[in-house]
Amino acid sequence: MDNKDKLAEIKEKKKEWNEKVLLPAAKRFGIEKRPTKFHTPLDIADFDFERDVGFPGQYPFTPSSYPISLVPRIEKGAKPGGLRRAGTYSGYGTPENTRDYYKLMAKLRYTGGPNLALDLPTQCGYDSDNEMVEGGIGKVGVAVDTFRDVEVIFEAFTGDQDLDKIATNMTINAPANILVAMYIVLAEKRGISLAKLKGTPQNDILKEFISRGTYIFPPKPSMRMFRDSVVFFTENLPALNINGFGGAHIREGGATREQELAFTMANGIAYLQEGINAGLDIDAFAPRFSFVGFGGSMEFFKEIAFHRASRCMWAKITKERFGAKSPESMRIRSPYTASSGISATTKQRALNNLTRSVIGAVAGVLSGGAPMAFPPYDEPLGLGWSLEARQLAEDATRILMYETGMCDVIDPLAGSYYMESLTNEIEDAAWKELEKVEGMGGSVAAIENGYMQRSIAKSAAERQSRIEKREDLIVGVNCFTEEYELDVTTSKIIEHPYSEDKRYDAEKQQKATLAEVKRTRNNREVTRLLGELESAAKKEDKNLMPLFIDLAREYATLQEQCDVLRGVFGEWQMDSFV
Amino acid sequence: MEKERKIKVLIAKPGLDGHDRGAKVLSFGLRDQGMEVIYTGRRQSVQQIVNSALQEDVDVVGLSILSGAHLTFFPKVVDLLRENGAEDMLVIGGGIIPENHIPILKEKGVTEIFGPGTMIKDIGDFIRKNVRKIA
Repeated sequence: MDNKDKLAEIKEKKKEWNEKVLLPAAKRFGIEKRPTKFHTPLDIADFDFERDVGFPGQYPFTPSSYPISLVPRIEKGAKPGGLRRAGTYSGYGTPENTRDYYKLMAKLRYTGGPNLALDLPTQCGYDSDNEMVEGGIGKVGVAVDTFRDVEVIFEAFTGDQDLDKIATNMTINAPANILVAMYIVLAEKRGISLAKLKGTPQNDILKEFISRGTYIFPPKPSMRMFRDSVVFFTENLPALNINGFGGAHIREGGATREQELAFTMANGIAYLQEGINAGLDIDAFAPRFSFVGFGGSMEFFKEIAFHRASRCMWAKITKERFGAKSPESMRIRSPYTASSGISATTKQRALNNLTRSVIGAVAGVLSGGAPMAFPPYDEPLGLGWSLEARQLAEDATRILMYETGMCDVIDPLAGSYYMESLTNEIEDAAWKELEKVEGMGGSVAAIENGYMQRSIAKSAAERQSRIEKREDLIVGVNCFTEEYELDVTTSKIIEHPYSEDKRYDAEKQQKATLAEVKRTRNNREVTRLLGELESAAKKEDKNLMPLFIDLAREYATLQEQCDVLRGVFGEWQMDSFV
Repeated sequence: MEKERKIKVLIAKPGLDGHDRGAKVLSFGLRDQGMEVIYTGRRQSVQQIVNSALQEDVDVVGLSILSGAHLTFFPKVVDLLRENGAEDMLVIGGGIIPENHIPILKEKGVTEIFGPGTMIKDIGDFIRKNVRKIA
């Protein structure tokens, strides 16, 4: 019997099962409108292993970006290491506070480079002495006004943790090049070659317009700044990632899975095009694109399928559309795959968030990555995680890594009728949505006309409406909320690594520091260089990176530089799109 | 018979915080409940928020912050509204507000704080119960 006859037979049998077995049972339990699903070869009738799945670490990368698991096998008897990285999103208060925090963390054996959280004034290009940003100094991250602040933060990273031995991540987008310039000057002062600098500036401005909100300039000049990154980093910083882009923020902003995937791919296309337009070969720079993360929700199987689809899509875009030849250009390099996401966490009975993040971490392993139980359970309770919550999250990850054997196999759901059809479904829907965005002229146009912003706001409202109607259930929020349910917590006996007092004191301290820097620097040289920046900014083809480096060296402030650029580029008009 | 005026709400994002999913979702949700809702968009100064509230003569100002700057912004909005004669304008807040900050904000004139997971229906009920009497 050939495959076609076999499928016809299954189709016949499925029909029979539907009528005689499934429906009567569903009726008996009152679920005939939404009976439990079961999948068969019919769902993947034209399945082709090599085309649709392939081998791990090879085109089209559906099972995994890499041929081996990112969780290394432990030799018998050896002690497993890893995981205690300083690289958890961190930083608060003044640069001194953050430096001391990293020193404290190093004592607890958190090593490796920092993943710097910067405060909102820094992310939006304002200095700490600006009246407008009062209340925001040092709150969601550390304040950086000048190169001096970078010098202080990195006093915690010397010796075997010096800049040539660590990778530094910075969650910075609109002024990413200015922060990277400061980091470059630090390396110069320490006598470290630029070729050895590793790390990732987030540098994903398009998703800031779509969801996260720390934009400064309009989309077009913002992309010109990105062009400067691509060209300068490719030529001078070969080990630094150009960006860490991705869709997680877009999802958190309310996007559906398909919207997130489509918009992120559209953003990726726009970024790649900048490099191509600047005359670079795709394989010279696409391998330095990295991904900060995709997705995040409690819908277990769908998140797994989503990651399989996203790898496949990126591979097709880089290879088929941009003609990449190197597999490094086609690979999604991301620190993690599936996770439960931030907005799945609940303030109500917050310890339940540990359960949620463990489920996300299992999805992570099954979606071709390493497990990551994230975020720590106290994520929705305020700024900065407690050490208890971090330990629980890390231990959960370690249990999955070392006790379950789950990481011995890659993409164990490959070939599953359900998983393959779900992967196709998500990918098809995302291509369709991507086509729509491309039809408008791509990401920049779909941001300028508000399409992306409106789309995700609408999806967010629909999700909320389902929660209110109890169509989507959240334990402890819209169900199981009776008064006899207990709010189980952990004891708070270990001091929080961030000091509340210092955080609230940061504003005063940082203003004093900035005033002192402005008093002691060569102000004439700063003014001259800012003038040069203005003329250079007016010339579209001019790369501004060398000037940002000169300005960092002279302790020009972040806002002084951004203000010059605001004058030339304008500011993004903040339409609410509601 | 004179038709009852709709309750008018201003949803505002003070400061630099860009997380406006909650603000937008709340705007849609209260609108669905028959209220007239104006959303300011992001990055509003205290003065801008108060100007909009006075100009539009809203009944309720809803402030949303997830960045930890609530202790700076919320009381300032209340004070400036009161200074400008908006004595009975209801001011409520939402976002990531630590439990121990809620009494401080209430003492400064923010009537209620709504955290993550709040149903919009409950916020609507609260507004209808506490809003100034509309003639």
